[in-house]
Amino acid sequence: MVEQNLGDKAHPGATRPPGAPPPDLTARQVRRMKRFDNPWRNPKLIWGAGLLLSIVALGILGRLFWDTDLVFTGSGMPRQAPVGVENIRGQIGSWAHPLGTDVSGKDLLALLIVGAPNSLYVGVLASLIGMSTGIFLGFTAGFVGGRTDDVIRVLSDVMITIPPLLILVVFQAAYGDISLTLMALLIAAFVWQSPTRLIRAQVLSMREAGYVQMARLSGASTGHIMFREMMPNLVPYLFGSFIANVTTSIVTAVGLEVLGLGPQRIPTLGRVIYDAINSGALIQNLWWWWGIPTLLLAVMFIGLLLINLGLDEVSNPRLRRL
Amino acid sequence: MTVLDIRNISIDFPTSKGVVHAVSDVSLSVPQGRRIGFIGESGSGKTTTALAAMRMLAAPGFVSEGEIHLNALGDTDILSLSEEEMRRVRLRKISYIPQGAMNSLNPVMRVETQIWDGILAHEAGVTQAELQRRSDAVLEGVGLDPKIVGRLYPHELSGGMKQRVCIAIGVCLQPDLIIADEPTSALDVITQRHVMQTLREVQARIGAGLILIGHDMGLMAQSVDDLAVLRLGELVEFGPVRQILENPQHPYTKELISSVPLVGGESFLDPTPAEVPKGFTTQDGTPLLELRGVGKTYGAVTALHPMSFTLDGAVPKIISIVGQSGSGKSTMGSLMLGFSPPSTGEVLFKGQDINRIGKADQLTFRKQVQAVFQDPYACFNPFYRVDHALKFPFKRFGLAQSEDHVRHAMEEACRAVGLDPSLVLSRYPHQLSGGQRQRLIVARALMLSPNLLIADEPVSMVDASLRSSILKNIHDLKDRHGISIIYITHDLATAYHVSDYVMVLYKGHVVEAGPPKDVIGDPKHTYTRLLIDSIPWPEVGRDWGSADDARAALDELARIGGTPRTVYRGDIPGFTLRQG
Repeated sequence: MVEQNLGDKAHPGATRPPGAPPPDLTARQVRRMKRFDNPWRNPKLIWGAGLLLSIVALGILGRLFWDTDLVFTGSGMPRQAPVGVENIRGQIGSWAHPLGTDVSGKDLLALLIVGAPNSLYVGVLASLIGMSTGIFLGFTAGFVGGRTDDVIRVLSDVMITIPPLLILVVFQAAYGDISLTLMALLIAAFVWQSPTRLIRAQVLSMREAGYVQMARLSGASTGHIMFREMMPNLVPYLFGSFIANVTTSIVTAVGLEVLGLGPQRIPTLGRVIYDAINSGALIQNLWWWWGIPTLLLAVMFIGLLLINLGLDEVSNPRLRRL
Repeated sequence: MTVLDIRNISIDFPTSKGVVHAVSDVSLSVPQGRRIGFIGESGSGKTTTALAAMRMLAAPGFVSEGEIHLNALGDTDILSLSEEEMRRVRLRKISYIPQGAMNSLNPVMRVETQIWDGILAHEAGVTQAELQRRSDAVLEGVGLDPKIVGRLYPHELSGGMKQRVCIAIGVCLQPDLIIADEPTSALDVITQRHVMQTLREVQARIGAGLILIGHDMGLMAQSVDDLAVLRLGELVEFGPVRQILENPQHPYTKELISSVPLVGGESFLDPTPAEVPKGFTTQDGTPLLELRGVGKTYGAVTALHPMSFTLDGAVPKIISIVGQSGSGKSTMGSLMLGFSPPSTGEVLFKGQDINRIGKADQLTFRKQVQAVFQDPYACFNPFYRVDHALKFPFKRFGLAQSEDHVRHAMEEACRAVGLDPSLVLSRYPHQLSGGQRQRLIVARALMLSPNLLIADEPVSMVDASLRSSILKNIHDLKDRHGISIIYITHDLATAYHVSDYVMVLYKGHVVEAGPPKDVIGDPKHTYTRLLIDSIPWPEVGRDWGSADDARAALDELARIGGTPRTVYRGDIPGFTLRQG
């Protein structure tokens, strides 16, 4: 019944009876259909991962080929424009500082090499911690049920209503300078609720699924049912939730940093933007100072968004379009 | 006069794996007032062909060749109409009665409003009084009281009533052709008879042609005039239903007809067992399974009224539990597996209360009591290849001696249910059909050779031809491995043949029980009799009765609804049943 040679069938145009819905299968569409044989070869997923990897690559290659000590004050002439661009004083940017420098002479390229992966690190770490907590609590609530379930559910529902930025501002203002890891931990305290709810709901419905009943019938232990039967089917949800959490975490982290509440001595993208705003970069037309880190943040978010959309299509075939 | 004329139609579905020819070169015409049945297994193209006449093919599918003519349109080919012209044809000239009535009605609209919607889409300027009059008329035509039912919302109706509302919508504009796509597939036999009779009467009244799509030879024999047998997108046989049933030409048609088991017909089992059945006996005569006053309630709803029975395993037996959906038969299965605790009474397996088994003995219990679940689609973890479901319990119960032994056992089990192990074992569940999955579940249970097997509709998704051969295999393996089986089903014909004892369940009560030859062969209880009368047999001569007969029977059933008394029809050794 199935013909392998799609080539000649792809353009039946002439033989079609008039009025029949046009098949309209161009070679391009055939290629696109083929792609769905392996859902993971999703263009959105690939592009998104590529964008994020480019940030990581910036960190690694930059450390190999560029001097990261240039992040310190006075490493170069202040207010230098990127290569080939004239700054307000008529100085033309040189290769010594390809992306220019800020008002205190910090090299912007070095700042980005150190800062961009730091921002990503905070986001990923916070999300990892939040996810792990979420998986643990979600499974416990869904599986154990009863009083435990009530406690976990009420806790996560209450936590969801508290605006994280408010608490973090208060906390950080009291704490003063903190490390990146501590910052990630703090943010993690606000991103575990939605994975908890998601996983709890999934576990509750999966508990009644035929294959879980089947596993029980086969004498499977609770651990086996949780991690060998249920967990693999949750992977698309977990991935999706993880990526969404990374986005939230980075937004939160950058938000705090732009308010000047992040780590004081470690360069991050938010910190660079904070400094730029603080030193009047907008008025002095030092556009590269705030513009380039913002661009990198945009790349990061677009990458994360694409991955999320891609994962959506992987786990929900109905979203895939021809 | 020919209402619909399908000429040399071919339908293709382009997919990433190549073009699938869903229908190839089918020609057929539907005369006015005649009922045509499309029969064939799933994927045979019967629905696709009918939908092409409505121009409602699912997304990538298209008509690659052929013409479809509708008498009302003169010479114009349906396929050349514009979308707006086609819209005007639908419902007015051709109406479609969908498979799942529960999902086809708008849940937020009253029944009569939905009928008005159909009328207003085709006729402008109909007054409210006229609408009301017409909706009342069609509702009455399908045996529903327009004063009451018209004002109700779909969720307030039963499945059969919803399906009749769909019929009412389908005929409200008196179309030339009605296409009914398995209109009774979700209904039990008693309601099915009522709905089918209603459909036939309405169709005869308005003189429309009818295309009935289905896979049940018995239903076709009772409902249509001509039968079209489709297989893999080709029309293999077409003719008057009597001629096809009495003198089928194509081997596939013969297979379809011969595979329907009949009550009182020839048994598909070997008359003499191949070997002496091997049983299970305890020293002190403790029964294998004992239910003591077991009942189950869910809130205010009683799923199962207290009942008791004992089953000893000395000679392995098949005990059938039959009844409609909602009769409490699946609840019984889940109670016997210890998946849900009974509300009253206790379930004992080899003298031990299965809800009080310690952690240590749990595995031993599971090893001895296995099940085949109803829904084969849900039973496989989509993440693993299907052999996971067979391999895991085998190893877990310590039955495996080596990897080779596991593989050998799996292959043997697959062959016992008619599957080619090299083809299925390394597949993912979504790559297998419902029937294949169901057979694998049966294979899994048999390979563990338990003492007790709870089989909940084990062959419901298998084609009729395979059904009897799998049941025969189960029957043989029961003797070889000494497996006592509780067979839960709504299929009375197979229960008649395979079982040693039958319990008929109605609303959580056992209404009739005894050996199958008495209970099913010569039913005494009103409910059992109604159940058996409602089964459509593939015999043209048999009269299924009119819609009024069916309605009268339903009324009588409602009358005895409260506390029906059990009719005991005799005992068999090793099994005793009591009420309460």
